[in-house]
Amino acid sequence: MNAVALPDVSHRQAAQSQWAVETHGLTKRFGANVAVDGVELLVPRGCAFGYLGPNGAGKTTLIRVLLGLTHADAGTMSLLGYAVPRHRDVALARVGAIVDEPRFHGHLTGRQNLQILAAAREREARDRIGPALGRVGLTHRADDKVSKYSMGMRQRLGVAACLIGDPQLLILDEPMNGLDPAGMAEMRDMILSLVAEGRTVVLSSHLLDEVERTCDAVAIVDRGKIIRQGAISELLAGASLALQVECSEPDRARALIDASGIPAHIEVGTLGLGISLPGGTPREVVAEINRILVTEGISVYRLQEIQASLEAWFLQVTSRLGAT
Amino acid sequence: MATVPAMTSPAPAVAPSGSLGDHRGSPIPNGAMIATRFMELRKRRGLMIALIVVNIGIPSLFLVVRLLAHAFDPKSYGPAGGYSIYTGLVAGVMYVFGFIVAATLGCSAGSVDLSEGMFRHLVVTGRSRLALYLARIPAGLAIVVPLVAVGFTIVCAVCCFAAPTKISYNGTNVPAGLSRLGLENWAAGHPDEVICNFGIALSPSTPNASEIASVLNSATCNNGPGSSGPVVSGPGSTGAKPTQAEVRAVAILIARQNYSGYTSQFLSPSDSLMIKSGLWLELEALIGLIVGLGLASLLGQRTVSVILMIVLEVILTPIFSRARIPYMLNLQRAVVGVATAHLAPGGISVFGGGGGGAGANNGNPLLIPESTTVAVCVIIAWLVVWTALGAWRMMTRDA
Repeated sequence: MNAVALPDVSHRQAAQSQWAVETHGLTKRFGANVAVDGVELLVPRGCAFGYLGPNGAGKTTLIRVLLGLTHADAGTMSLLGYAVPRHRDVALARVGAIVDEPRFHGHLTGRQNLQILAAAREREARDRIGPALGRVGLTHRADDKVSKYSMGMRQRLGVAACLIGDPQLLILDEPMNGLDPAGMAEMRDMILSLVAEGRTVVLSSHLLDEVERTCDAVAIVDRGKIIRQGAISELLAGASLALQVECSEPDRARALIDASGIPAHIEVGTLGLGISLPGGTPREVVAEINRILVTEGISVYRLQEIQASLEAWFLQVTSRLGAT
Repeated sequence: MATVPAMTSPAPAVAPSGSLGDHRGSPIPNGAMIATRFMELRKRRGLMIALIVVNIGIPSLFLVVRLLAHAFDPKSYGPAGGYSIYTGLVAGVMYVFGFIVAATLGCSAGSVDLSEGMFRHLVVTGRSRLALYLARIPAGLAIVVPLVAVGFTIVCAVCCFAAPTKISYNGTNVPAGLSRLGLENWAAGHPDEVICNFGIALSPSTPNASEIASVLNSATCNNGPGSSGPVVSGPGSTGAKPTQAEVRAVAILIARQNYSGYTSQFLSPSDSLMIKSGLWLELEALIGLIVGLGLASLLGQRTVSVILMIVLEVILTPIFSRARIPYMLNLQRAVVGVATAHLAPGGISVFGGGGGGAGANNGNPLLIPESTTVAVCVIIAWLVVWTALGAWRMMTRDA
């Protein structure tokens, strides 16, 4: 399929699509194993989107299917509004991706590797090699052989390889691997700057903290299925509410709360009570707990609401799934 | 459960700064793809050194040794070049090594992207996988063709400029380029060498056969151990010691009879033969590159592919070229090495056969019979089929 052969209407429809990535019923099997199971994924344009899941959940397989590195067994998908694989060449022209560990020809320099990739893209890509190397901080090592690069430098080179295509959509699979803390901070800043430019970044990572600090929305995948997706703030609002209570007579306090009928999971620890309330519990319940304890003569030294983190929520969601 | 993320209004798409009209889906690779692929192969230092050593170094070393040996002891060692050295090097060394060099390069080009992890980067560009495959062919040829040409040029240069000044005909040094009369005159001046070495076929119908036999029998030759007389076939005779005039007359007769054999001897390869040989070697290299590329792309690894190509060229092809296996002749003819052997220029004899020349077997009686048309069809089929197989695997392979 030639890029210029697409009718204008297809370009217009693609440009009007609000989704950078859209899949419906996407399925990929390896024998009896269903690696991607009817995935319905919607990634809005212009955001940083986290793609989370335990090891073996099917994250990388979904990315490989999206990029045409392997074929889907069922379902439909589109990138930047272009149906793939039908308009794969047009869609991928504006996509940059790192899949798994970024590997290059070790006997060539970083710049020469990028020249090979730029040659497969449009003519302007060759002019972007220098700026891309500069943006990832590799200018001073660009003419060294890649075999002498550290893992972190190869990650940066992978990102530079994405940038030479001037992508509207970047799909980064574990881009923080091998980066030191300073490198991770730089990568985080770069992702945010890419998003600020109006690009879409899909970030697959096991570093939940990084995802939480970088992304606007996430999808959680487990056993090939997407079990949650949405804006992080909304997802966390539905997470359980955690309280830490330091008080006198913690065992009696626990008994009193249990007897009150409040649906709470309570653990007694060295710091006092750890109370977990179901997601969506009104904050009045927190005040009610405090009132019960004070009324029964228990001294409350500290009552603190623990902010739900993405990691806690991720573990909560995936462990619940594991229990079923 | 899958819920649509509640995001703010979608951001406008980034306006592409580049043109999308770059024929990215076209199966035809662009010049930059070929140039960078050439660079990628050329920068493989170990591979390049190996290819240069095999294709240029070995023939050069052989010729240098001969040049030095001849320079230091010209009586024991003949000139480094010449026609026979040329045909031997082209058929025995350049032909086989050229194929192996090209096949090794083709196998590398067909497998390294996959093994070194670059294949998925290239696929993600959206470029047609067929174009990615086809870019390797001109890039590989840009390396192999000059490599073969350089090695071949060295062989040609030495064989022409260090060619012997006299033809060694049956062990006798004879001036080159003599006419029939010239050869006869030379024979009259060197009757003993001619009578002892040239050989003559006598029959009862030969005029003056008994006188000739008498001359031959009276000659005292020193052709080495076990040889005490001239090379002769036919009836012998005994008689009185011949006069010097009779001896010269017999030498002239022998020279006349050997003239056609003498004219088939060359000091150095002709321009025509060198051009044809060069093109033939380049054809063999082209086949090696494309078959190796296809095989490596199909298998996805280099080492096994290279081993298979060497086995094909060094073991299977010589066997299939010479052994007439009942009920398998057509299969033998379908081996590409057999087909290229049939296209060898006259004078170049592959796989240790006899002399060259036109004919169904290219003048090589050891080769199985095969017409030129069949040989050409076999070569084209190999090129097309292996390209199709390699491209198909590249287009369907998981990256």
